[in-house]
Amino acid sequence: MATLDKETLKQLTRLCRIECTEEEQEALLKDLKKILDYVEQLQEMDTENVPPCHQVLENRANVMREDVIGEVLDRESFLGNTPHIGGMIRIPPVIKHKGKYV
Amino acid sequence: MYNLSAIEIREQFLRGERSALSIARYYLERIARFEAQIGAFLEVHDKQLLSRAEQLDQKRHTHQPLGKLAAIPIAIKDNILVKGEITTCGSKCLAHYRAPYQSTVVNLLLAEDAMIIGKTNMDEFAMGSSTEHSAFQKTYNPWNLTCTPGGSSGGSAAAVAARFCPVALGSDTGGSVRLPGAFCGVVGFKPTYGRISRYGLVAYASSLDQIGPLATCTADAALLMEVIGRHCDKDSTSLPEEPEEYLNHFKHSIEGMKIGVPWQFLEGLADEPRQRFEEAIEKMKQQGADLLEVDLSVLKYAIAVYYILATAEASTNLARFDGIRYGHRSPRAKTLDEVYDFSKEEGFGPEVKRRIMLGTFVLSAGYQDAYYRKAQKVRTLILESYKQAFNQCDLIASPVSPFAAFEIGSIQDPVQMYLEDIYTVSVNLAGLPAISLPNCLTKEGKPLGLQLMGAQKQDRLVLNAAHVLEKIFPFHKAVPPLVDQEATL
Amino acid sequence: MSQKPYDNWETIIGLEIHVELNTRSKLFSVAPNRFGDEPNTNITEVCTGQPGALPVLNKEAVRKAVQFGCAIQGEVAKFSKFDRKSYFYPDSPRNFQITQYDQPLVKGGSIVAEVGGEEKCFAVNRVHLEDDAGMLKHFSTFAGVDYNRAGCPLIEIVSEPCIHSPQEAVAYAVAVKAILRYIDASDCNMEEGSLRVDTNISVRLKGEKGFRNKIEIKNMNSFNFMEMALKSEIHRQIEEYLHHPHIPPEQVIQQATYRWDPEKKETVLMRRKETADDYRYFPEPDLVPIVLTDAYIEDIRRSLPELPLQRERRYGRDLGLSKHQSFALTIDQALGDYFEEALKTCMNARALANWLLVEFAGRFKESGESVLSSGIKPEQVATLVNLIEQGKVTGRIAKSVADDMVAHPGADPAVLVAQNPNYHPLNDQEEIERYVNQVLADNPRLVNDYHVAGAEHPYRRDKIFTFLVGQVMKLSKGKASPTVVNDRLKHRINQWET
Repeated sequence: MATLDKETLKQLTRLCRIECTEEEQEALLKDLKKILDYVEQLQEMDTENVPPCHQVLENRANVMREDVIGEVLDRESFLGNTPHIGGMIRIPPVIKHKGKYV
Repeated sequence: MYNLSAIEIREQFLRGERSALSIARYYLERIARFEAQIGAFLEVHDKQLLSRAEQLDQKRHTHQPLGKLAAIPIAIKDNILVKGEITTCGSKCLAHYRAPYQSTVVNLLLAEDAMIIGKTNMDEFAMGSSTEHSAFQKTYNPWNLTCTPGGSSGGSAAAVAARFCPVALGSDTGGSVRLPGAFCGVVGFKPTYGRISRYGLVAYASSLDQIGPLATCTADAALLMEVIGRHCDKDSTSLPEEPEEYLNHFKHSIEGMKIGVPWQFLEGLADEPRQRFEEAIEKMKQQGADLLEVDLSVLKYAIAVYYILATAEASTNLARFDGIRYGHRSPRAKTLDEVYDFSKEEGFGPEVKRRIMLGTFVLSAGYQDAYYRKAQKVRTLILESYKQAFNQCDLIASPVSPFAAFEIGSIQDPVQMYLEDIYTVSVNLAGLPAISLPNCLTKEGKPLGLQLMGAQKQDRLVLNAAHVLEKIFPFHKAVPPLVDQEATL
Repeated sequence: MSQKPYDNWETIIGLEIHVELNTRSKLFSVAPNRFGDEPNTNITEVCTGQPGALPVLNKEAVRKAVQFGCAIQGEVAKFSKFDRKSYFYPDSPRNFQITQYDQPLVKGGSIVAEVGGEEKCFAVNRVHLEDDAGMLKHFSTFAGVDYNRAGCPLIEIVSEPCIHSPQEAVAYAVAVKAILRYIDASDCNMEEGSLRVDTNISVRLKGEKGFRNKIEIKNMNSFNFMEMALKSEIHRQIEEYLHHPHIPPEQVIQQATYRWDPEKKETVLMRRKETADDYRYFPEPDLVPIVLTDAYIEDIRRSLPELPLQRERRYGRDLGLSKHQSFALTIDQALGDYFEEALKTCMNARALANWLLVEFAGRFKESGESVLSSGIKPEQVATLVNLIEQGKVTGRIAKSVADDMVAHPGADPAVLVAQNPNYHPLNDQEEIERYVNQVLADNPRLVNDYHVAGAEHPYRRDKIFTFLVGQVMKLSKGKASPTVVNDRLKHRINQWET
């Protein structure tokens, strides 16, 4: 049984990048614990030799397309949904070479 | 006209008895009269509708060939992209998002001359069973305005029930077409996974999502399926098979059909829903169907499996809504970190946050084996269980939900809300086709639905049986009293 | 800063090479796969992560990846699939990358590379397909994001940690690049970013078991910089260990990512890795697996072009080229192709190789051009070599002809020779004899030394003889046939009386 405590919740918010207020964290903790309690029942099932289900439709494989250029998205309608400058999407300055966020 | 089916409306249009413009105006008037009380629509595209109706009238006037959906008004759930129009998914996050491309299903509808009447309300990002989680407005059940219309396709179901349009599209990930169909007393069909293209459907849970039609009768749903149930090159999970015909293959009896019932699994059902269900089963027997019991006891784990797998997929599908390329970008954000952290905090409602957190948790290092991988294995067992059951029978029958439409605000506990889906989620887990058919009304006057499901790719069998049964069920084509009158006198 | 000898230390290097495949369209999106266009003009809803968009796999990307796998004799998986790798960064349109985690397209394989004149074999761990991210452009008050590169097809080639020096690392990378060019899978342009190398490097005392913490180095956009970066990092790590002998090694060097600063000429800390990244890999539900048949894989293997190693070995074995010549003509595919073309009409492969690699290369060194772009046709170089072989022109004169060819690209050397009487070989025996006599007369002391040296000191004697030949050649303005000169000089010098 996984223990979901405040520290784990904080890590989760960092992983999925959603900031939460203190109150939201309280409520989330309570609700998530309830849900995790509920799904715990899965541990009753013996799944020792059962393969995981990756595909619900069997025997689907090799869906591929020809290497052909298709219809390109109109740049105006792409940029129209967000701040932009010089044809690029505009975001606050990134500290150079900071690397990937976790 | 509001009692006419979509097929009938089209026929009248083709025969010249009604113009597309008059059809469009008629339904806009009904919306003007009743929509304020119901709140089915997030946006009514009246100008576009009238302009399109004029075009169709012109087409007919000049004897051009007309499509299978000519002059049929259709409402689209707001998580299906209509190019150039706002698509919100019921979320503040996308309140101003204008779709830069066209979804495949809308392309198919327009190619057959359908008229899009507007975008309907829904639970935010399709996460919910009551449409109460829409960030914008509540939708009220046309049968009882204190009650929810079900969810997440509550707007589409309510629109059809209120006769704002004869047909609508919803999406179904764990029951989101079938449940609101049942609550609102309309037919809701979820096809086999992969039957309808997901290209342009905002993804919630990729391996479970399917678009599905809502209509007042099975024939209309079948007509829609013939148009949108086709292979799509842009969706790698799309079924490769040729599109199917349904209307020409309708049989008139279910004699000899084997119907399985998982009685053991239904043990917890309350009295009234149970009695109504048993009556429906009895009617099937009278029609010549063979009834037998099937063992689907593994389904008691279906909700747990669903909420692990769906939230896991959703947590990654919704990661893109960071406000950088589109969607809500927090005005408070000064740094890039803040753009990420605040935009989603402000843009997402509590249910969405809950599910994303849960999904992130079950995928995270150290927990993935116990939760995500375990759920995937149990999913295999559910698939096996259904396969075995369908070796013995053609269709499986069950109620759609443990009870009829509940009061708005009456369910606050998330787990309790999730248990609403107990009879519907396993169908998505197994990729099966299933229909929700309005069976009867409860003592309180709220609709109850019967669910019929078939083995994978047996869509025709399911639609067939529904087409036969709907005529003999007590509900058939009942209209909510509130809207059972013309808009203008 | 001098490098101290670190004899009792050894280096362990692993390379991760990201290669952009040169398909026409992107990996999962039908947008054009092109470099250098206006920002956000090569995009679709798929590679910009629009809601509702779905990926569809490009079959040509699969084919090129399998081709590479066959070329390195890796095991091409009959079953492989894609996974989602979650992380947040503005250049990622979906905030997850579609990659291959536990079931990649190719497992194992090896790269044979020449290191310091010896052939060494390096093991490859795996090769897999994944989609590229977009590009961030940094300005002082904002950053701009361009998604042209987002979704472009990449193969990631991961070596085993079996590389033990910066020279080995460069040799490995050069060999990988050569293979990729030969099968035309990529432009391999490091400046444009279609070939990117990241390295992991650690050191340990010789004989030590187990690995110490490794450092990742990024942003080396040439092989030269990579070698410098690795040398610099090895030095840094060893110095750290030496300066902190009482601190446990795992605390002296902690896992971190460095980038190469080409101006400072050293590695600079980018970020520490406090915790391992949690990418939460799980199977991509929007895609179906790749299932390949033996027939498909065999087909690709059989239709592989001659690979660099095969070509190199063939040059040595069949044409008798030296190791260096074989390597130089192989590593530059275009030059090798030019050589092959010229070889079709050429009488002497070794001489041809020398003319290309030394004579002509030398003539183009300053201009920065090469014989490939000069306008000189391969068959013309062959003609020049043939003229020498046939005695129609001396080796010395041929150099002047070559100068002419460079000055007038496209000119046929046979014509150049025919038109210039100064190029015509001197075969007049009498004239040659006169020159021989004159040289002997002008160098009495050397002639005496020649006879004194005699058979007992052949080295001294041959040196004198060569000098005298040279003098004769000079008198004849290079036109005398060397064979004739040798013959006459030998004859006369033995007759000469001092």
